[in-house]
Amino acid sequence: MRRGWLHQPTIRHTSTHVPNPADSSNVFDYERALQACAEGDRMALQSIYQHESRYLLGVALRIVRQRQQAEDVVHDAFLNIWQQASRFDAQLGSGRGWIYSVVRNLALNAVRNGARQVSVDEETTAALENRQAVDAHTDVEDAFAMRANLGQLNDCLAQLEPARRNCILYAYVDGCSHGEIAERTQTPLGTVKAWIKRGMSSLRTCMGGLAV
Amino acid sequence: MSGPEETQETQELASEYVLGTLSAARRREVEQRLPTDAALRAAVSTWQEQLLPLAALAEPVEPSTGLWRRIELSIAPEPASAVARKSAATGWWQSLNLWRGLAASGFAAAAIMAAVLLRQEMAGPAAPGYLVVLVAPQSQAPGWVVQAVQAGGSQQQIKLVPLGEPGRAAVPAEKSLQFWTKADGWTGPVSLGLVQPGQTVQIPLDKLPPLQANQLFELTLEPANGSPTGRPTGPIQFIGRAVQL
Repeated sequence: MRRGWLHQPTIRHTSTHVPNPADSSNVFDYERALQACAEGDRMALQSIYQHESRYLLGVALRIVRQRQQAEDVVHDAFLNIWQQASRFDAQLGSGRGWIYSVVRNLALNAVRNGARQVSVDEETTAALENRQAVDAHTDVEDAFAMRANLGQLNDCLAQLEPARRNCILYAYVDGCSHGEIAERTQTPLGTVKAWIKRGMSSLRTCMGGLAV
Repeated sequence: MSGPEETQETQELASEYVLGTLSAARRREVEQRLPTDAALRAAVSTWQEQLLPLAALAEPVEPSTGLWRRIELSIAPEPASAVARKSAATGWWQSLNLWRGLAASGFAAAAIMAAVLLRQEMAGPAAPGYLVVLVAPQSQAPGWVVQAVQAGGSQQQIKLVPLGEPGRAAVPAEKSLQFWTKADGWTGPVSLGLVQPGQTVQIPLDKLPPLQANQLFELTLEPANGSPTGRPTGPIQFIGRAVQL
């Protein structure tokens, strides 16, 4: 069973992407749905929910890690989408990207504000630096199976060393802080921070740079 | 000073904001800069688009059957923006849905957090009967707290206290922060005057009915001398409802 929306990675800079017409998410017009929400059309909000709620809940759950809290995030996100649809700016990005950002930002704010118990704080983790550092450049397993079609992003991620790639994915997908990633990967905190910084910089170069 | 270094800083901040590795304080900092910093806004939007495919790595999870109903109830009974559109004379602020929604979403958590922060504040001589935590609508970050102070007799005052970074965030040039309140049953919000970011103000409520539970308070961004219409015209910066203590 294909997860339709995976096949439309919504990367605006990709000109080679060919939409699959059989894919329902390709025909769902997120920008139009948001416009309708801004005009008070509740059916439009419901159609977004029908298309995306299970994926959005999946994204929220990975970050907050508690089912009820994840549902609260999705609930709050749909209220935000409803109330702020008129502020969506199609010049800056896709409607679908905006919707996911609303969910991720609420989930990340919740965990960064302390809603999720973190077993090791950054200071404790920093002490790891005093221990013998694990040579993470060797024998690193890919923590994430790249089954999904990530388009150009996939190629760019593939160019990163697995250890750096894992750090970026732990952060984005699991909502891990620097300290949590250091703990998970048994890597000194400073190293994790540097890997992420350089990894993101490499990604940016690979993705064709960002307009500033 | 604008140059390559600033661009670099903007890029790094945007990338880690979208990635999610910033602390709560730095996330708030970014969210405060976004409305006025076009370069940061563009960088954040681009990263959001570029990393979006990674969202596919989270397995889909079927929501509870009641979740849509919950959302529906929160936006009921009538769409806020439709009300605003119907008539320019009745402003968006009359839509109860908007107020309800804003106050409901994530509000409890923020209130608890702020109540903890406030414990020292409340150790003063006059214990407030009500507490209102004003949060930013998008981020839910608490920015201000309203305390009701019984100043002897029937005269009532309220105190508006900034909380941390969000309460100190500067407003754009030629703009001001205007403070409003609206209790259930009032026809519209009443202005409580202009406030300065980061500054505590005490306001007598002698011309208003006593504070009541659920009463709404908000700070909106208005022209430098305040709203020209006597009603809120600009975006809500912070909003919350009175909770009886």
